[in-house]
Amino acid sequence: MITELRVPDVLLLRYGELALKGGNRASFENTLVRNLHGALKPLGGGTITRRWGRIQIQPEGRWREAMKACAQTFGTKSVSPAWNTERNLDSMIAMGRTLLANKLQEYPPEARPTFRVTVKRADKDFPMTSGDLAIAIAEGMLDDDSPVLVQMKNPDIEFNIDLRPEGVFAFLDRLPGPGGLPVKTLGRGLCLLSGGIDSPVAAWSAMKRGLKVSFVSFHSPPYIGEGSRMKIRDLIRVLANWQGPSELNEVQFAEIQETIRNGAPESLRTILYRRSMQRISSHLARRSKAGALITGENLGQVASQTLENLACIGAAANVQVLRPLITYDKEEVIRLAKHIGTYEVSIREEPDCCTVFQPRKPALRARADECETVEADLNLGAIEETVVRAAHMERIHPDS
Amino acid sequence: MQPVLLDLAASSPLDPRVRDCLIQHLDEVHGNPSSRHAIGIQARQTVEHARRQLARCVGAAPNGIVFTSGGTEANNLGILGSVPKRGPGRILMGPTEHASVRLATAQLAKQGFDVETLRLTRDGQLDLDHATERMNEEVLLVTQMLVSNELGTHYPVKQLARLAKARCGEVHFHCDGVQALGKMDLDLEDLGIDSLAISAHKIHGPKGQGALVMGPNSETGPLFFGGSQEKGMRPGTENVPSIAAFSLAADLAHEGRQAFKESAEVCHRELEEALTGISLVYQDSMDGAHILQTKGCVNSICAVHLPGPPAEVWQHHLEKHGVFIGVGSACQSTSKEVSPALLALGLDATSARQIARFSFSRETTPNDIGIAANALHKVARSLEKLSP
Repeated sequence: MITELRVPDVLLLRYGELALKGGNRASFENTLVRNLHGALKPLGGGTITRRWGRIQIQPEGRWREAMKACAQTFGTKSVSPAWNTERNLDSMIAMGRTLLANKLQEYPPEARPTFRVTVKRADKDFPMTSGDLAIAIAEGMLDDDSPVLVQMKNPDIEFNIDLRPEGVFAFLDRLPGPGGLPVKTLGRGLCLLSGGIDSPVAAWSAMKRGLKVSFVSFHSPPYIGEGSRMKIRDLIRVLANWQGPSELNEVQFAEIQETIRNGAPESLRTILYRRSMQRISSHLARRSKAGALITGENLGQVASQTLENLACIGAAANVQVLRPLITYDKEEVIRLAKHIGTYEVSIREEPDCCTVFQPRKPALRARADECETVEADLNLGAIEETVVRAAHMERIHPDS
Repeated sequence: MQPVLLDLAASSPLDPRVRDCLIQHLDEVHGNPSSRHAIGIQARQTVEHARRQLARCVGAAPNGIVFTSGGTEANNLGILGSVPKRGPGRILMGPTEHASVRLATAQLAKQGFDVETLRLTRDGQLDLDHATERMNEEVLLVTQMLVSNELGTHYPVKQLARLAKARCGEVHFHCDGVQALGKMDLDLEDLGIDSLAISAHKIHGPKGQGALVMGPNSETGPLFFGGSQEKGMRPGTENVPSIAAFSLAADLAHEGRQAFKESAEVCHRELEEALTGISLVYQDSMDGAHILQTKGCVNSICAVHLPGPPAEVWQHHLEKHGVFIGVGSACQSTSKEVSPALLALGLDATSARQIARFSFSRETTPNDIGIAANALHKVARSLEKLSP
């Protein structure tokens, strides 16, 4: 008979790279804890304690949701649901049996998964060595009828005992986290978000490297319908699952597009729209103290994404531009977008640029000086100032 | 600014009387129609009364009505429920069918059926000569809509059904009647068809409610299993308030069909006149707006060519003026696919994207068309600014 497994007593969270960050370590850890509090808040909160290079979480709400939220918090290497046991061999064996019996339900009856016991002994007062204890637990748990095969290297199931001064923790599973650095430890970035597949992945990549990402979107009513605005918000809702509530700046872009379309050489249109977006975003970045713009730009994904055009567009920004996806293949970006959860939203067919504004043949090698002359003639700076002032800011919460 | 809805073939607002009926039944009829106590029997009586009321509107026997979740389910039931056990064989499908018909027959194609699409004549009517040529004993199913949701064309279903019955032997004739209900006399027996799909929200009824109307010889079987409701054809506890509201909406639409026909004719004429003044120089050529005239159109659905940019651009500009029109069938509006109905009419992809749909209900007035005409002029002027 299988003993009913109780709700885990604690979630054990391991963090990766930030453990290496020397002098910054404490501040990085504090940020991670703060971010975890933020992630758990909509789920009912929880108690979070930092001990011995690990974080212990006792969620108030449903533990599976809490575990998933932790596994979506940057800086987290892995999370395990863990159970407290008493500090004696019999209790550890009993807990091991219960956990193993429950785990085996995931396998077909004829399966013979491989298995091992691993003991970590931070509490050196315990009278057995780690190795001896592991053997004793395995001997106690298994008998001739056990449906598992012991294997020390890469077992299918690993029963872990963590002996610590504050208690003994037993666990089997490790849910991998995203790794990276806690959001906000490296400052802020502003992502130019279109409705496509790439820019949300670029934003996520920047979050992973410790940036808190705000967003700017360019909306051109009445050339583009409300569906596009909804899509942008839906994308940010998914991304907010990874970094918490996020800011969106919405810029009205129709007048600028009309001005460029009617006054600039046709082949330069797209470049000029993008240069204008970079200038507007640079203003907004300074306003929200963001140290970089983040774009989903990629080298050669479409014909007009040449080195020359990228340089010409980037030259309009006066904040540094990060292009996390610059060398990625489309397949890699799609795979990441699926992992992040933005793919399903991105492929919803909503236009992000009206066909009336698109050039028949875009320039492949635009020059910044050429663009600057046209921009001065069109007096774009004045319109840009107006739209920056009128930009609408809103806060978007995660969809969980 | 009161919005002017001219996309009423997509959906129509609840009639206040239908709303009252819906709310009254939500409040007062609590039973499960399958229960044998008095409260259950009250619910069953409501459903059976609705069935009789709806049957009268469509010239069918009450026991031929199967309530469904809407037109899409009714089309699926009429097609998938009537054929597989006799297949595989040939299927003839109308040239401008709704996605719920096209994708249901595509399922049958995967099972080995040979699905063939009929043709339109140059004037946009069903090519009956071609259809006749394609008929033989191997045809197990013919599916042809009565009124096109995109073009408004009223197709000769009665003639096609008669031809099919004469030439194909034991054929099931299914008809998508979603856009016909409330616009014309609808009589299953007179049409000589085996099943007819209808929907409530196109006639000021609630969304999520439809029916498949079956003829006496229909051998249609269920797609779902799990209960004896609707004689086992559509198991699951009936949505009693919605069914009651649907039958009232159908009754009102049926009673008002002549008046609607007349008011739609006036609106159609007004729109046609308004469009003659709309033109645009776009990418170096002059282009004007007009209604796509197909032979035998109902007046309440107008496929309109709008000049210049894709119709979606017009749609969003008109929205700003409080005028709402349709672009593409709502069921394919998020798809990049160009409407097969417009392609069947001989349009290329670019021209097909310049087609918008203006559709009226019995509540549409010439004043609404006047407001739309004004808005169209304003939008034309602002789009003209974009012309080189």
